[in-house]
Amino acid sequence: MQLYDPTTSAPQRNLSRAAPLASLDGKRIGILENGKLNATEMLHEVALLFEERHGCKVGAVYCKLNASAPAPAAMLAKAGQEVDFLITGLGD
Amino acid sequence: MPRDARIHEVPDDLLAAIDYCYGQGWTDGLPVVPPTVERVHATLTYEGRPPETVIATHAATGLELSVHAAAVNAVMAGCLPQYFPVLVAAFEAMDKPDFNFHGSTASTGGSAPLLIVSGAVADDIGMNADVNLFGPGNRANATLGRAVRLILHNVFQMIPGISDKSTQGNPGKYSFCIAERMRGNPWPLICETQGYPKGVSSVTVFAAGGFCNVENHGGNTPEQVLSSIADAMANYGCITLGQSVVVLSPEHMRIVAGAGWSREEVQAFLFTHAKRSVEGMKSVGKYRGSEYDKQHGASAHALVESGYIHRGLAPDDILITLGGGDAGGHSCFIPSWSRGRGSIMQHGPIGVCIDCR
Amino acid sequence: MLCTEPFEVTARNIARVLGLPGYPFLMVPHPIGSCTLRELKDRAQVAYEQALPILLQA
Repeated sequence: MQLYDPTTSAPQRNLSRAAPLASLDGKRIGILENGKLNATEMLHEVALLFEERHGCKVGAVYCKLNASAPAPAAMLAKAGQEVDFLITGLGD
Repeated sequence: MPRDARIHEVPDDLLAAIDYCYGQGWTDGLPVVPPTVERVHATLTYEGRPPETVIATHAATGLELSVHAAAVNAVMAGCLPQYFPVLVAAFEAMDKPDFNFHGSTASTGGSAPLLIVSGAVADDIGMNADVNLFGPGNRANATLGRAVRLILHNVFQMIPGISDKSTQGNPGKYSFCIAERMRGNPWPLICETQGYPKGVSSVTVFAAGGFCNVENHGGNTPEQVLSSIADAMANYGCITLGQSVVVLSPEHMRIVAGAGWSREEVQAFLFTHAKRSVEGMKSVGKYRGSEYDKQHGASAHALVESGYIHRGLAPDDILITLGGGDAGGHSCFIPSWSRGRGSIMQHGPIGVCIDCR
Repeated sequence: MLCTEPFEVTARNIARVLGLPGYPFLMVPHPIGSCTLRELKDRAQVAYEQALPILLQA
């Protein structure tokens, strides 16, 4: 008996992590909010620690209109240009 | 067949093949029909486009549903080949960004896609719009809904516990597919209100958060019947800015439409009365100023009442139709997934392309 | 990327599917939605400590 496989393979991607930072001093932070309860507050509290301890600054705050959909590609591309690292959340 | 279509050689023993499918992790917990090459090819004859045609793409991962993969999972669900156009239309509707099938499936909210088939196709393929509407027993209803789940699981890898994080899920995740009742329906069919040409059937997809039976055997005016439905819609566990589906039983429809109420009048009544006070919402920790502002802002609907959160943003957020058996004062309310507008119901024509290039 | 503990398996799965298995996440206790400010600050400290090596090391 021959059965077709009902699954699909993930598309091949060529992704890599961003290079590590040489230091955190004065770096620009981006925050990507997802609209979930307390998400804004949580992400800003994390950012605050980097501001207080490393002189980082929150340079940009991006907002996903839909918590459960991926952030628009253009938004992420913009973030890549405007900040040194981005703080965001996944799940609830 | 698509170049990457994979074949599994298994012994010529049906029960062993069923066990093989279990072993591969391809099922929803129930036995599946082994997707033999012959049955998949028979299903594909009901779709005119090449089998490698992509009909839906997962926004988060890029995983794609081809016509071929849809046919394989349709066979596994137990679908007859003639059901296939409904399944294809359903996923093309679910693929519309505003439906957000990733979010609605992955969420702790535990929604299931509800399919409502409207028009002649429902009768053509023998769907049930009558007694035991949401229950088991009808092959088309049961297997179409099941095929949706198998595709979400097998193609889009929405695996319970891993990428499907439903806290409790809901029984509709096994299968949630009905036909709109045409017999005795005093209102235009859903497919007609959706603007499709005469003779074209449609499937509406809705990320459904659950199912609430609304029983009322004593009410004998539209206001009494609809007030009980509005109360169900406003329960603290459900009240959000999201959309709703209401299926009126024939007994309730006779009271409502029998008094001359149109669909629009029913929608307006339900929207007006399905509400909770701001104080009440605060008392249970569910008040959000941003949601109140969204509903009461510059584009607020005329029926929105100050000091209250209504269910939905406008009366046409409530899809209402007729379904179920002739006996029983039991209608139902089906809430949307999401606190608000994370998924908006979509629809598509079945078996035809309306605005093809 | 902040993640609460029940979503760890989800995060690791999406990283794998997207071609970055082993992508490091910041794990904090669940939930977030009902936390007080004090609880959020405690979770922020946990996240900050995990973030340092992620940002500074390859």
